[in-house]
Amino acid sequence: MSPHQFDIQLVAIIVAASCSIPGAFLVLRRMSMMTDAISHSILLGIILAFFLVKDLSSPILIIGAAASGVLAISLIEAVNRSRLVKKDASIGIVFPFLFSVAVILLSKYARNVHIDTHSVLLGEIAFAPFDRFILSGMDMGPKSAYVMGSILLLNLFFISFFYKELKVSTFDESFASSIGFRPRLIHYLLMAVVSFTCVGAFDAVGSILVIALIVIPPCCAYLLTDSLSRMIFLSVVFGISAAISGFWVANWLDVNIAGSMAFVCGVFFLVVFLLAPERGLFGIMREKRRQRMDFAEASLLVSLYNQEKGEAVKNHPDSRGMFQSTDFASKVVGFLKGKGEIAVTGGGLFLTEKGRERARMTLEGR
Amino acid sequence: MSGRGENPVAPAIRVTDLTVAYGDKTVLWDIDLEIPKGSMVAVVGPNGAGKTTLIKSIQGLLPRVAGVISIHGKSYEKQRKEVSYVPQRGSVDWDFPTSVVDTVKMGSYGDLGWIRRPGRKEHEKALGALEKVDMLEFAQRQISQLSGGQQQRVFLARALVQSASVYLLDEPFQGVDATTEKAIVTILKELVGGGKTVLAVHHDLNTVSEYYERIAILNVGLVASGRVEDVFNSENLMKAYGGKTSFFPERKAAKRAV
Amino acid sequence: MLEFAVELFSDYTARTILLGAASLGVVSGVVGSYAVLRKQSLVGDVMSHAALPGIVLAFMIVGVKEQLPIFIGAALSAVLAVFVINLVTRNSRVKTDSAMGIALSVFFGLGLVLLTYVQRMPDANQAGLDKFLFGQAEALVEKDVLIIGLTGFFALLVVGLFWKEFKLLCFDPDFGGTMGFSMKSLDILVTAVIVSAIVIGLQTVGVVLMSSMLIAPAVAARQWTGTMGSMVILAAIIAAVSGVTGVALSAGFENVPTGPAVIVCVSVIAFFSVLFSPNGFFTLKLKDARSRREIKKDYVLKALHDLALEHDDPGYAHSERLLALGSEKGFSVKKSLWALRTAGYVESVGEDNWRLTQSGIREVKKLSPLEKDL
Repeated sequence: MSPHQFDIQLVAIIVAASCSIPGAFLVLRRMSMMTDAISHSILLGIILAFFLVKDLSSPILIIGAAASGVLAISLIEAVNRSRLVKKDASIGIVFPFLFSVAVILLSKYARNVHIDTHSVLLGEIAFAPFDRFILSGMDMGPKSAYVMGSILLLNLFFISFFYKELKVSTFDESFASSIGFRPRLIHYLLMAVVSFTCVGAFDAVGSILVIALIVIPPCCAYLLTDSLSRMIFLSVVFGISAAISGFWVANWLDVNIAGSMAFVCGVFFLVVFLLAPERGLFGIMREKRRQRMDFAEASLLVSLYNQEKGEAVKNHPDSRGMFQSTDFASKVVGFLKGKGEIAVTGGGLFLTEKGRERARMTLEGR
Repeated sequence: MSGRGENPVAPAIRVTDLTVAYGDKTVLWDIDLEIPKGSMVAVVGPNGAGKTTLIKSIQGLLPRVAGVISIHGKSYEKQRKEVSYVPQRGSVDWDFPTSVVDTVKMGSYGDLGWIRRPGRKEHEKALGALEKVDMLEFAQRQISQLSGGQQQRVFLARALVQSASVYLLDEPFQGVDATTEKAIVTILKELVGGGKTVLAVHHDLNTVSEYYERIAILNVGLVASGRVEDVFNSENLMKAYGGKTSFFPERKAAKRAV
Repeated sequence: MLEFAVELFSDYTARTILLGAASLGVVSGVVGSYAVLRKQSLVGDVMSHAALPGIVLAFMIVGVKEQLPIFIGAALSAVLAVFVINLVTRNSRVKTDSAMGIALSVFFGLGLVLLTYVQRMPDANQAGLDKFLFGQAEALVEKDVLIIGLTGFFALLVVGLFWKEFKLLCFDPDFGGTMGFSMKSLDILVTAVIVSAIVIGLQTVGVVLMSSMLIAPAVAARQWTGTMGSMVILAAIIAAVSGVTGVALSAGFENVPTGPAVIVCVSVIAFFSVLFSPNGFFTLKLKDARSRREIKKDYVLKALHDLALEHDDPGYAHSERLLALGSEKGFSVKKSLWALRTAGYVESVGEDNWRLTQSGIREVKKLSPLEKDL
């Protein structure tokens, strides 16, 4: 690993970690697509602030850009609150507009500066190591690691300081406000944090792929745990792993690093989605099949039990008529026979003592 | 108008062994229910008792674990046109860009089938239905400008256009004004008088005896069903609602007698 | 600018391009209305981003920049993204918004990976490929416009044929289901129509901003009209006008990409409509302010009357301060008193004292029908 590669990975890890932290709350608040709105809208802020200060790494630029993210969110909410436009459409008309204005300004007036439409889409983490932080003649490492590092610290500070406020207002907004937590304030603070994170991540992964690092790692974690703190921790782990493996995949194929990180995030999610112990697709399907069979078995047993007791004589003479297909019905009968809960003699179904017991328990259990 | 697919002996609706589950939660368990033709039936039960689920699964809108539904003795799929549905008012977006008469016309889409457009005849029919629910003057109004009661009348008019013989209503009186409630009851009673069958999810136990002849009391399982005077009693209500109701039909009847 | 416009419209190539932009506008206006009414605006966003890997893959397989394979590739990967969203939301606790974020970024990320992979290849043909990101209408040739026209025609034909079914699907799918229409097939059909609109817009507007071409015209049109038919037609007109204007602007100025130019035009119309339409933001605000003023006036009138009653003299005068005391803090009654004086309901007595006139007393009676009965 060359020092150059090390630096890129260092920046990637810090970016991924800072993105995953607020991401967990965005996912739980069902605001994932707001990230998309923010990450697109900050471009306009970056460009306008750049015209003003002419320096891409100025802190004013970062603050200006983050402010434009929060502004875009308030604009979306204002449009939506007027009740003239539904929420999804409000998002869908606000950020493409701001983004379009930014892209036009960029193509027209900022041709020769550091940012261009390509870096907006692709990010340029590969160039991160070239811009060094030099302190009294000493090379202290890539500058972006420091910028992003401060944002990471901000994020860590934010969630540790407001952890319980964030948790309560995410779960139940009206309750949070009834105990005096000011959920709207928390909401805007979170939006500000996300905006800062997007501005920081912009250099590394561009405007469009930030959402991958913010949303996908928390979604992976969401399928693996029920505890919020563990979810945040796992998101960071997933984010960092995706950043590192994304880098190496890109390195191997000689392709865009940001795109490759987004893609690897997707692969991680796919694996978790399919294989998560309780909430994976395979697990769910197995559980569903088991349940369906359970229901079918229980209702057949209960129906036989009721007939035996002579009460509530069914309208169908054949108990199998209760199932939608005869195939399924014979499967159910087969299973019950296997368990020794019914017996089949002369085409008729009879409960065994074991089956009678289960039917009784089913009836009482509900 | 009636009798397209009616079987004179079969009940209007027969539900056998109906079980429905969402995920690992049983919502309806082993329901057996018969609704005789020409009756007006209330479906009552606590929240989460499966009332809406019952209405929806009668129409095949939800996948069922087990169970058979028949309408006038034939499967629902064959009798679709005999059933008309008034969903909960809140289930649609009332900001949708359409007028009152246009919404009512939707009731005729089923008869029209694929691709054919509604014409003069359907328009007249829609206006007729609007007249019945006393909304004719609002025909060209935007649906977004209607009050809750007016929205419900529009939904009822849409169901009337379907000229079915079985009406399934999901909380038709939810959030409507008293005048509308009376008007809807009158229309429903007229329908029943004309041999139609009405099954409505109902919330207000106070009005059950006044509006309905029959009742089905539900709480995941079927607690009781039958004529209101036979099964609408505190014992069955306790079974369905547990301690959560303070409504005692007997006491009310006694009061009325006094 | 005018000279330029004349030149633009007389030139054959330019006419071809503008015709393309206009037809694209008509189709996306119509089709976008369905995306908006079904509250699926953001799904359109996902689909257009998700088209990217399909475009590049099609190019990699066919090897040349040929329209039809690229269209097919784009459509397939857009549909696959929708499938992924549905699969994830139906089978896990991940909610729709997150599923959309996942689909959008993973597909787009893959697209960028493939794009940078292709661009490394020593092949001159790939040069035009990244025009699909932000669109470049200048590259449209007659054949492209023909394909746009044909695809659009079929999309509109489907919308026309299934007009009433689509309306049911958007308004009340459960009810539609009870009438025997297969809502699942209709859902697939609508998605197909939306995808085809996205696909034909890729070359002009680009994957990044195509969704806005669907959403903004429909949002704008909805502000001016209350029926679906007129909404769809108006959206088509708005989108066509913006398409043509955007393309002309992009061609007229140097270094202005087509997609963003078109989107700025259409968004400006959308924001204008939201703000200034007859039911728009400002009208609503004005109406609100007016009714608040009326209520306040009534309140002051009633307060004057009630205070006077305590003195058994309906014409008894009271100070402005006393009137404001009975109400919320910061409630200024001055403006209301002036308005009431203009209407002739109150008169000022000396400095800062006010009393009801005869017509004011009559007006109070009208305000409170309950008291009249008593």
